[in-house]
Amino acid sequence: MRALVITVMVATMCCPLLASDLKAPATVVAGTDFVIASAESQGGTFYLIGPSLVSKREVQNGSEISVPGDEIKSAGVYTALLCSGAGCVSTDFYVKPSSPARLSLLAHPSRVRVAEPNAISAVALVFDKFRNLVVEPAQVEFQAVAGEAQPISQSRTAANGIAWIRLTSGKKEGPIKVGAIIGPAKELRVVRQVASDACNLRIKPEWAAGKFYVSTDPVRDCSGNAVPDGTVVSFTKTDRSGKTTVDAPVKRGIARVQMPVDGNARIFVASGVVTGNELNVTGKQ
Amino acid sequence: MKLLLLVLAAALIAFYVGYLHADEPAAKIDLNTDTLGPRTIEELTEKSIVRDYGLAWRTLRDALNHNQPGALEGYFTGFAKDDFSRLVQSQLKTGVHVRYSDRNHRLTAIFYSPSGDAMQLRDRATLEMQILDGTKLLSTQQVTRNYLVLMTPGADRWLVRDLQSIPEGRP
Repeated sequence: MRALVITVMVATMCCPLLASDLKAPATVVAGTDFVIASAESQGGTFYLIGPSLVSKREVQNGSEISVPGDEIKSAGVYTALLCSGAGCVSTDFYVKPSSPARLSLLAHPSRVRVAEPNAISAVALVFDKFRNLVVEPAQVEFQAVAGEAQPISQSRTAANGIAWIRLTSGKKEGPIKVGAIIGPAKELRVVRQVASDACNLRIKPEWAAGKFYVSTDPVRDCSGNAVPDGTVVSFTKTDRSGKTTVDAPVKRGIARVQMPVDGNARIFVASGVVTGNELNVTGKQ
Repeated sequence: MKLLLLVLAAALIAFYVGYLHADEPAAKIDLNTDTLGPRTIEELTEKSIVRDYGLAWRTLRDALNHNQPGALEGYFTGFAKDDFSRLVQSQLKTGVHVRYSDRNHRLTAIFYSPSGDAMQLRDRATLEMQILDGTKLLSTQQVTRNYLVLMTPGADRWLVRDLQSIPEGRP
């Protein structure tokens, strides 16, 4: 009993904070005015401690303290304190985000090969007008528009302010616009679709001014998109003098290389892991 | 003799470093990744998240305790940095300040973007929160706060981009 009395006395002396007499609404929406009620009719100093703001002011009448919406723009847990000569009373309350009004969209990667399954990811973060993450579930509509084609839309429910989607890249190279929409907010990102690996590589022989050249047909991927200039094509020749490999970059859609041929020769072509046709040629004696 | 001097110097440095941080024990941080998706987390990333989140809280504590918004530079970015910078500015303006002492963080990673450029976590933090007006202590509370945390990778560390407290009981 004695210990209990001592504990109560120590607790009373240590803590100037009295039992919570301030009453705030259980939940307040960010940016809206509201009133904190108190049993304290005398004035005092009112403190508001929030996630991004601390305010302090003298109040004449402690029984009804008006808090302007400007002071609670950030969502989160707030502590209100009213201090007078008798000590301080306090309460905690939660300010929830207002309705969705902004989006942040992360689209990845910025360049992608055509016809790659689930190669593009888009993550949308849903914010209110005060940049608070809207944690209540909300429907986000994702859109993908390639060139003049009709947009493709899919809806996802944001959990904890985040919605995401994976997309397969289209078959034609060129930009694809990836967007997310919620209420008045819309964000767009552009992902560039580029040709994939070369496909159906074809080479042909050419004689010009007594020299032997091997050149490819226009190098395209399996969807018919021209591979970018600079893509390396390897030509491998086997003849009496041995085996030689020459790398040549694609220029204006084709790769071309001069190869001296000694007698009968076999020539192969490859680009990355893709191989093409084989040529059997006879060199000029 | 030279070796003895070196050992003594090392011991002195270790003592000094320990002394500097004696009043700021490192908070205990646990990270649970059992329900994380859609991307799986690598072991190294897990370690970085725990380390950098702990350091972010440490810098937040310093920024608020000493009214130094510059302390936020290292581990905060985006909205989180803006919000806490505003908090420090209002502390300077009013003379009121909040002193956090974080004891424990129970982190649950809940979303890791497919491309690895954002991670969302939930933190159940045990904190001591003191509110001071000048040097006058107004309130001391032991609180458990729940936070939604958004972290994004920087050049050599993970940065806190958003840190929003949420009410108790949110799933």
